[in-house]
Amino acid sequence: MKRFLNVLPFNVFVWILLVLYLAPVFFMIVTALMPTSQLDDKKAPLYPARIVPYIYDGQDYQLYNVPMENGTQPMALIKPGHTASLLIDPQHPENGLIEWQGDWRTLAGVYEFHIAWENFSHLFNSMPVLKMVGNTFMLAVIGELGVLCSSIIVAYGFARFSLPGGNLLFYVLIATILIPDKVTFIPTFYMYIKILQWRGTILPLLAHLFFGNAVYIFLLRQNFKSFPVDLEEAAMLDGAGPLRRLVSVIMPQAWPVVITVSLLHFFYTWNETRLASLYLGSSSSWLPVSFAVQNYQSLTPIQNVIEASTLIMLIVPVLILFLAQRYFMQGLIITGAENKQ
Amino acid sequence: MQITSVIKNKISAVPRVSVETRFKRQVGLMLISPWLIGLVLFKLAPILASFFFSFTDFHLLNPDQIQFTGLQNYRIITRDREAGIALWQTIQLALVIIPLQTFASIVVAAMLSSRQLLAKNTMRMLFFLPSIIPSFSAALMWDGFVDPSTGWLNRLILGPLGLESLNHFSYGDASRLLFIISSLWTIGPGILIMMGSMQGISTEIYEAAHIDGAGRLKRFFKITIPLITPAIFFSLVLNLTAVFGGAILLDRGSRWRNDFSSYDGYVNLVLFDMFKLGYASSLAWVFFVIVMIIVLILFGTSRRWVYFPDREN
Repeated sequence: MKRFLNVLPFNVFVWILLVLYLAPVFFMIVTALMPTSQLDDKKAPLYPARIVPYIYDGQDYQLYNVPMENGTQPMALIKPGHTASLLIDPQHPENGLIEWQGDWRTLAGVYEFHIAWENFSHLFNSMPVLKMVGNTFMLAVIGELGVLCSSIIVAYGFARFSLPGGNLLFYVLIATILIPDKVTFIPTFYMYIKILQWRGTILPLLAHLFFGNAVYIFLLRQNFKSFPVDLEEAAMLDGAGPLRRLVSVIMPQAWPVVITVSLLHFFYTWNETRLASLYLGSSSSWLPVSFAVQNYQSLTPIQNVIEASTLIMLIVPVLILFLAQRYFMQGLIITGAENKQ
Repeated sequence: MQITSVIKNKISAVPRVSVETRFKRQVGLMLISPWLIGLVLFKLAPILASFFFSFTDFHLLNPDQIQFTGLQNYRIITRDREAGIALWQTIQLALVIIPLQTFASIVVAAMLSSRQLLAKNTMRMLFFLPSIIPSFSAALMWDGFVDPSTGWLNRLILGPLGLESLNHFSYGDASRLLFIISSLWTIGPGILIMMGSMQGISTEIYEAAHIDGAGRLKRFFKITIPLITPAIFFSLVLNLTAVFGGAILLDRGSRWRNDFSSYDGYVNLVLFDMFKLGYASSLAWVFFVIVMIIVLILFGTSRRWVYFPDREN
């Protein structure tokens, strides 16, 4: 208890920072739950709400707080007008229509908490979301296989074998991280589209992944370097070849960083839209869900429907982040140590 | 081309290589060969090709009529006002955003590594969360959040604090400010890097400093910061290349908003609206040279402030 009180101010401070940091996320969630009528209504509360409906004579009307002679009363607005409106008292509908002098637009509604679940069905009605999620997962699985296998093998080569030219090739690797992709983009684009005729296929989205990713190679190598070499030497004396040592000595120690890298790559695949828009076009049957939803969002004018689709898109990555947090949050280790061997 | 000749020189400079070393090198080369092939296919060849294109009037719609135009594209760039403005805006943004991102990721990583923090894993996950939101969705959220009439910024934050409410965020300085603030939503990987680095510092150093009477702030600035300089350096370089359109540690897709990612947007315009591959190549090459100069300067200064444990031995 004493410890709790000691650390309380610090934790409160962190929580305040977190709430400010995530404020637009809360805004997104609340907006996604709002009825469309609430969006332009400046008098509406901040939580999802609608004006209380009232049925009179078989028709739907809404309740407003109206200033009357005996104080402000909730009244159903039957015929709105700029100078005079017709109202009905929901407690005494038998009194009939009451005329009220004043502009109805100055009135504030009577609000009740109301969640507009129908916002979420818009997205599902306008595209085959689940099939597209399947596409994304397909791309993710092929891409993960390619990029993980190649990056791990290359990283092992960089971590444990002296290469011709010493560290030169490693510096080249780092240099490739820094090349603005516009420089390589134009010839690559031309090659895929005009020479290989790959437009409309998923090959341009995947091909480069099978040759390793420089950032991942760097992260994996830094990690492999930090493992003691004794076990590998023992395995080598027992006659284990390089790939064998990689699989049975390095990998059992390396899975936290491998999980981290595969998660980074999954989040990348889940959110990737640039290559999809360049090479797939919007009519492909291979559309990944992120690109389709982004198109949908840019064509949808209603904010709550847009935010609802954003919320739907976040379910999978947040779930994965949540499940993998224990491994993921251990952090990425970057040290200046280069020659630990 | 140059690289292979450098390698050859290096090899020939070593007169006798033992059989074992040569074998080890061959195995190493075999292991990194996927990357080497990728390097040639996806980096070296395209870079050289775009260098070649930059001296031509290469056009996407009639590629067969390609003609060598010498330095003409580069001469046009020096007179291209839009390119100059775009480049200047990109550099300005980089000068603000990169230090801000680096500073924020250090502070957040320090908080998330603190022993006083309760529910550590959950807090780490929540601070990482915005970094997995697609940038297009993130832009929509921020736009909605700061909307003058229906957003929360005026109603929940500026209003209660008695501050003047802001009327627009769609253009000018306000939009740039919004972009800078929303760039804090990309610091997740930076936080991970800093945290990993902070965890690597042995507690003995802190305890020794504590016994010598160093306070919390002093320990942070005299022990933590110097020891995580490799991570700071790495994340500086990554943030830099992210702003300038290089590899991104956690790529979240594009925003396609040309007014912000200025230079990139301008190259996109030349490329996709005008189809001028030749001119776009020369624009990209100018940018490439500028980025490389900045990176080389950064690497040059790194010896002065980045802690490399090896060099002490």
